[in-house]
Amino acid sequence: MNAMLKPHIDNAPLQAHGISKRYDGRPVLDAVDLTLPEGAVLGLIGRNGAGKSTLIRALMGLIEVDAGSATVLGEPALAMGDRVKEQLGYVPQQPDALGWLRIDEMFALLRPFYPRWDQGFVDSQLDRTRLPRDRALAKLSPGERQQVALIRALAVRPSLLVLDEPAAALDPVARRELLREIALRAGESGTSVLFSTHIVSDLERVASHVAFLHEGRMLLQAPLDDLKERYARLWLPGNAPPAKVAGEISRRPQQAFGGWSLVVEQRDGRWPAEAQQPGARIEALGLEDLFVEIAE
Amino acid sequence: MDASLLTIAPGAPEPIYRQIVEQVRRMIAGGQLPSGELLPSVREVAGFHAINPMTVSRAYSLLESEGLLERLRGTGMAVAKSARRARPEAERMSLLEPRLQDLARAARELELPASRVRRRFDQLLEDGE
Repeated sequence: MNAMLKPHIDNAPLQAHGISKRYDGRPVLDAVDLTLPEGAVLGLIGRNGAGKSTLIRALMGLIEVDAGSATVLGEPALAMGDRVKEQLGYVPQQPDALGWLRIDEMFALLRPFYPRWDQGFVDSQLDRTRLPRDRALAKLSPGERQQVALIRALAVRPSLLVLDEPAAALDPVARRELLREIALRAGESGTSVLFSTHIVSDLERVASHVAFLHEGRMLLQAPLDDLKERYARLWLPGNAPPAKVAGEISRRPQQAFGGWSLVVEQRDGRWPAEAQQPGARIEALGLEDLFVEIAE
Repeated sequence: MDASLLTIAPGAPEPIYRQIVEQVRRMIAGGQLPSGELLPSVREVAGFHAINPMTVSRAYSLLESEGLLERLRGTGMAVAKSARRARPEAERMSLLEPRLQDLARAARELELPASRVRRRFDQLLEDGE
């Protein structure tokens, strides 16, 4: 699968090379590479515990890593200057900073630090979401806190937006709103976005690229449409294990079908010749199925 | 045309840009979208369905390169003049063929009686009228 990892791109807003991190001797990230191309919406997907949050914290320079390096808008993650911080919108999984402040106080406090601050956006979003401006942040529900954190991240008109499980605490309506905002920001303001999720359907709506992290390793990274078009399930009849097929990623016996199912990758725009055998067929594969198959 | 006329299934194996291309192609072939009809802007489609605007642009560009859409200065995309006539029935039928084959295979795999499937399919066709 290494051939699928994106090569180094100069000037990518977010770039990681060989990031490794251990907690209590247990590897959480193992030589992870990641590239967020400019203007892309990269969905970082993986099961709970795959290392998504650790990777994002490393990219944001919030933790020291054991090996590897990351750059954010061209500067080292661990030494970002003001120029970079002004253009960066980041929402952690559980935003809990400044809890003693009221919503309006928090926004008033932050505003002077960001030259591109969009107060009109803040006001319209607070009205739309009906968040009580005079309530202390610590008294908000997890979903409300996440919404405040999102408004804050978007108010700086970021050129890079990083969201760690942004939809986790949101209800379906707020989630759809968020996805719409992400999509339009990317399309119209050229904002580059990295967001992590374990909800594949969220990612499928707005992502232009997908990175799949599994047990601390980056299994694949590619444009979303490519993944859907290049991979498929190949059904082969017969109980004997089939010979190795060109482009094969995984296989499993299928007793009910009386044969085998394989996940295969196109080579030079073609499916393997075995797909022409009598009783064989190619079946399109959704992203969720693809991940289930390659994560085993 | 309104953005709500498009049906987007994000979880389908078919990429979203292809879903848009197929649906617009069918609506033009069926005469539902006459030549000159304006398509919703990229922003409208992306906003309505909460999908990436680049995906919509990609679909429109593909339809433009096929000659089905043309870019109007300042006003967006419209159905091209050359795509004016509804295509002949045989051609429209060929657009449906892959789906009919999928359906027939699924019905066989589920071992459903053909008469029952036909009855339900007739019902669905009539409901739309």
